[in-house]
Amino acid sequence: MDLKLGEIADVLEALIVVGEEKKDDLEIERAGAADMMSDVLAFAKPGMLLITGLNTAQVVRTASIVGIGALVIVRKKQIPESTIEAARLFGIPLLHSPLAMYTACGRLYERKMKDIKSL
Amino acid sequence: MKATVDKLIDQMQLLFKDLLARDIMISNVITISSDRTMEQAKELMRLKKISGLPVVDDGKLVGLVSIEDIIKALENREIQQPLEKHMSKRLKVISPDANLPKIFEQFTRHGFGRFPVVDKANNLLGIITKEDILRSILEEFRVLYVRDKRMSDVLDGEALNRSLITGEEINKSGADFVFPIDYTEISLSGIGAARLKDFLLNKKDIPEDIVRKIAIATYEAETNVVIHSGNVGTIYCFVHEDYVRIRIEDHGKGISDVEIAMTEGFSTATDQIREMGFGAGMGLPNIQRYSDKMVIVSEVDKGVVLEMQFYKKNSD
Repeated sequence: MDLKLGEIADVLEALIVVGEEKKDDLEIERAGAADMMSDVLAFAKPGMLLITGLNTAQVVRTASIVGIGALVIVRKKQIPESTIEAARLFGIPLLHSPLAMYTACGRLYERKMKDIKSL
Repeated sequence: MKATVDKLIDQMQLLFKDLLARDIMISNVITISSDRTMEQAKELMRLKKISGLPVVDDGKLVGLVSIEDIIKALENREIQQPLEKHMSKRLKVISPDANLPKIFEQFTRHGFGRFPVVDKANNLLGIITKEDILRSILEEFRVLYVRDKRMSDVLDGEALNRSLITGEEINKSGADFVFPIDYTEISLSGIGAARLKDFLLNKKDIPEDIVRKIAIATYEAETNVVIHSGNVGTIYCFVHEDYVRIRIEDHGKGISDVEIAMTEGFSTATDQIREMGFGAGMGLPNIQRYSDKMVIVSEVDKGVVLEMQFYKKNSD
């Protein structure tokens, strides 16, 4: 099921660091989780939600290359300023969730969000 | 025009001269033994949808039944007869070590649709049709890596100014997009690919999904330079009418075995790089996945030249 950016933030107890203005407009259909950027490059679908434990600017750049709809950084205590800058620059909504990746994925799965492979 | 085509074929043959009959042939061949009838051969050919059937006794090739032979037997009402009387016995065969130019010569000279591949003792090893040749050339095009003498030519000499894919001259100073790769800062990797993506999107005539493929493959290649080469590199992009060509060159450590580097999961990256989410051993396989054509040439301590081609229209 498609979820609005704001709903995703609620479900994941996340702060919308970048893209607050899109919280009621942006709807996302699919989600996937990865810490390996090459996996993201290999399998990501345009417009999807990417859940990752990495918090470098690199993640945002990778997200921009594959056309990620929004990015959730989980578990990390802090997100470096350079990462937030990059998200602003590329216009990619960035969420910061305190949940562990397993829990974050589980909550979205409960809300019937699709993965990258399902039809 | 004719001269250009001939020249191109010559170049191609040179490019694929290491492709041998044993690599091209289909080895699980459907055969029939000579004590069967033409009727049985006809049925087998019909069921298996094949136009030529090798006749084999004890592994040795003794003849070939073609559709033409079947038609003749039908016309003469001899279809019930043993096929030994009707099969072609004077066969043109190809040795497993014949290279592509030799195979081409056979096809042109005799005009047959297929050639059996046999060893010196006349054992049937496989069969080659024109489609098999086309298929192996296309496969070869997907990943072509050159590790013989031509390699040092490419990385040293003026061949550096030629396309690895087509052999045509490349004027790098006339590239539509150039980006110098800074290898000193791992966190900067990907900026070149991001700029290239913007550049291509602004051109407006390339579909977004194609731009995405180009950006992903370039990102992987750029990251490879940053992580592995330990030296400066450059991204060049040439936008042509039907396709986009990307060339990424560095003068670093090089790759000692391209075949192993192409294997999914193989990586020599350090822990620090893995912590950044790279070094999963997916770089070259991803580049192959997203590009329509890819050639990589490398020699240890001389660097890597990677060339990719992307069609502007979706092929599928």
